[in-house]
Amino acid sequence: MNSQFRINVISIVTLAILWEIAGRTLDSVLIPPLSQIGSAWLRLLISGKLLSNLVMSLGTLAAGFFLAVILGIIVGLLMGRFREVEHFLDLYINALMSAPMTAFVPVLILWFGLGVESRIAVVFLFAVFVIVINTMTGVKQVDRTFLEMARSFGAKETEVFYKIILPAAMPAIMAGVRLGMGRAVKGMVTAEMLLTLTGIGAMIMQYGSAFATDALFAVILTILIVAMITMKLVQLLDQRLTGWKAEIAIE
Amino acid sequence: MVEIQGVSKSFQKILKDGTTEVKALADVHLSIRENEFISIIGPSGCGKTTLLKIIDGLIPHDSGKILIGGKQVTAPGPDRAVVFQTFALLPWRTVLANVEFSLELRRVAKEERTSIARDYLKRVGLEDFELHYPHELSGGMQQRAGLARALAVNPLILLMDEPFGSVDAQTRQLLQEELLQLWQREQKTVIFITHSMDEAVYLSDRVVVMTPRPGRVAEILDVPLARPRIADDVRRDPKFVDLTNYIWDSLKKAMENGH
Repeated sequence: MNSQFRINVISIVTLAILWEIAGRTLDSVLIPPLSQIGSAWLRLLISGKLLSNLVMSLGTLAAGFFLAVILGIIVGLLMGRFREVEHFLDLYINALMSAPMTAFVPVLILWFGLGVESRIAVVFLFAVFVIVINTMTGVKQVDRTFLEMARSFGAKETEVFYKIILPAAMPAIMAGVRLGMGRAVKGMVTAEMLLTLTGIGAMIMQYGSAFATDALFAVILTILIVAMITMKLVQLLDQRLTGWKAEIAIE
Repeated sequence: MVEIQGVSKSFQKILKDGTTEVKALADVHLSIRENEFISIIGPSGCGKTTLLKIIDGLIPHDSGKILIGGKQVTAPGPDRAVVFQTFALLPWRTVLANVEFSLELRRVAKEERTSIARDYLKRVGLEDFELHYPHELSGGMQQRAGLARALAVNPLILLMDEPFGSVDAQTRQLLQEELLQLWQREQKTVIFITHSMDEAVYLSDRVVVMTPRPGRVAEILDVPLARPRIADDVRRDPKFVDLTNYIWDSLKKAMENGH
């Protein structure tokens, strides 16, 4: 863990130095030196522009992701538990899982207009299917002897569900939530760039077309940092819920 | 105590070219006395485990009757508890919480179930491991926890499905001795599935030999060894050697007839 962190830091520092050198020797419009990006980032931060846009984007992200988690887990549990539900839905889920979600953006505009609802819908669609599939797989992979054991000790079907299936499937569900988080961030930026120019996505488009590369990179870096933080949050939740699994992994 | 009267069971097996019916048990008759330790031995696939699950009420049988204390078995009940070959301990629960699981399902209040679970963990020698997770324990210790979970609900009948089949030989002998001591104190009817002749003879009052699929009772043998049985003495006793040899012959004969 410690040596991993050290190598992480070395990697980042190396990249930063190379970037700075590249920016100073090559075209600073295409590759602005890191110091220049840093000052652009500070400028955006002080003006309040970055923060207000970020808050707006994160609101969309949170709403869409929350819906995707709730609905994705419910549908996944039903599909994993009932073969009929699985066969009824798996065709669409599998198709949509690998389909490029950007293709649905025009349809969503028609359905939900250009407001925040459409952006939430994009985030939702990006995130939901991977959560459904992982949840379903988790439920289907529950060790049958656990079910037998619980029934043998007199568990009712609801008890089998809450005491066996849900905790046993939790690592897989959380893996789906983690993957869904990554996709949700992609959905957020995509929606803000393709749908209506708002939030972080709008800043990217604006600075990109104005050749303000230093500000552009400042925004992109912000997105990377946000993605990393949200992933870390999901990881912490995962450890809380399935700590027993993490211990097995360490062994 | 337990009356098994003409029990048969078939499974639908789904193959590429349609389904076929596999007969697992055919007309099994067996009468088990109260507080008896009875072993069921037979070749792999003879339906021993199926029979145990039917007695537990986990799976239905096609014909015949199972009576426990005169009442017909249709579902799992509080008078029976199973010890599983693969332990079936929940990996997200500590050892203590695993033993409490069976009590939780029986609606025992939290404090009471913790104290009962602790008591049984002590009886199987796991009192120092109650906060460990199953994967931190050896196979033998895991099965002790499985045994404590089954005993904790205080069943009349203990159903053991090759409980020591997946632990090493030395641990297996220790567990056998511990089980006998526990059984002598607790006074329970034990139905013990095994494929080890040694184990069956050492532990049991009677040994039931089953035929290959479809499983039926080939022979029921009394074990003429006095109790309490000291493992080392018993294994050298000519009666023990004779009986294990006899069971081996009987199994061989049953297997030859079956093919």
